[in-house]
Amino acid sequence: MVFLSVVNFIRCRGPDEIWRKRKIFKIASHFIGRRRNCYSVAVRNVHRALVYGSKARYLKKDDMKNLWDTRITAACEQHNITAYTLREGLDRANIMLDRKSLSDLASWEPRTFESLAAVAKEKLRLDGFIDTTDKNEPTGRDLDLSNIFLNGLKETK
Amino acid sequence: MSNKSLFIKSGFVRAPLQNGVGRYVCQLQRIVLKFCKSHGGSRGIRDFIEQDLVDFAKNSPGTVVYLKPRRHRSPVIVAEYLNGDRVWMSVHQKTHSEITKWIENLRTQQGDVAATRLRKYQYTDHPSIQGPWTPFTFKDPELNTAVLPDPKFGANNRLPVSATEKLRLLFEKQKLSDVQTAE
Repeated sequence: MVFLSVVNFIRCRGPDEIWRKRKIFKIASHFIGRRRNCYSVAVRNVHRALVYGSKARYLKKDDMKNLWDTRITAACEQHNITAYTLREGLDRANIMLDRKSLSDLASWEPRTFESLAAVAKEKLRLDGFIDTTDKNEPTGRDLDLSNIFLNGLKETK
Repeated sequence: MSNKSLFIKSGFVRAPLQNGVGRYVCQLQRIVLKFCKSHGGSRGIRDFIEQDLVDFAKNSPGTVVYLKPRRHRSPVIVAEYLNGDRVWMSVHQKTHSEITKWIENLRTQQGDVAATRLRKYQYTDHPSIQGPWTPFTFKDPELNTAVLPDPKFGANNRLPVSATEKLRLLFEKQKLSDVQTAE
């Protein structure tokens, strides 16, 4: 008797299983425990890791923005002004520095930041703009506004 | 996809021993050109060897050039650098101009640059000119010699704005807005 249909009962999987799984294991190489050795556990965790990676691109930008804002606010407190005053004054004086540059200056070039704060405050004083919250936290040194000439430039033109 | 699973070394933007600040030393130690004399895939490298190799060897006196004609082998360039890196590059079916550009790239790089993930795209030995911020940057230097408790430094003068001051400021603001609306 020749059993012809028995052969059809053997199921063989695709030939590319090793390479398909290798792609997953390469990403999971630094995971802990079964997540880096067993395929079914690894594949779920790899998908989550990739999702976290894609979502984190927006979160990183938000985190950096928050960090810069914190640093700028702290630097402004050293000079008894608020971050709002600084931003408004620099905008009116047409000094377009972004949060990153301002926070780098505040950390590494504190005197430059002091000058920028003074420029902002003087510009707002000349414009007659009052920020009432500037005096809420006078924990720093008041700025010296005597050396700033903002109107002088206009007159020479 | 994190950087830990990439198995690539990471580093910063550096030049070995400040190369280029004073004298420039070509970091390419030796370059080996392996090609076939008759196969079609070696045509580009054969053209390079016939036309541009002597000029290249003359212009880079610190680099040793080796030629390895091997039958029935695809063309390959192997560059070795002063820091020990070894760059293997297949130039099979590449044109003469492509090979010229790649060899110029190999000559001017300082090692296997593709094998290093740059952590930052900037590097500086002097991040600060004025001195980085410290908690004492904007403090009165008389604090150094003061004997605490000191009446001057302990004075109660760092008060937030009082109610009277708030009213005054509101009045000033209202005046300004009245002036603006009048205009």
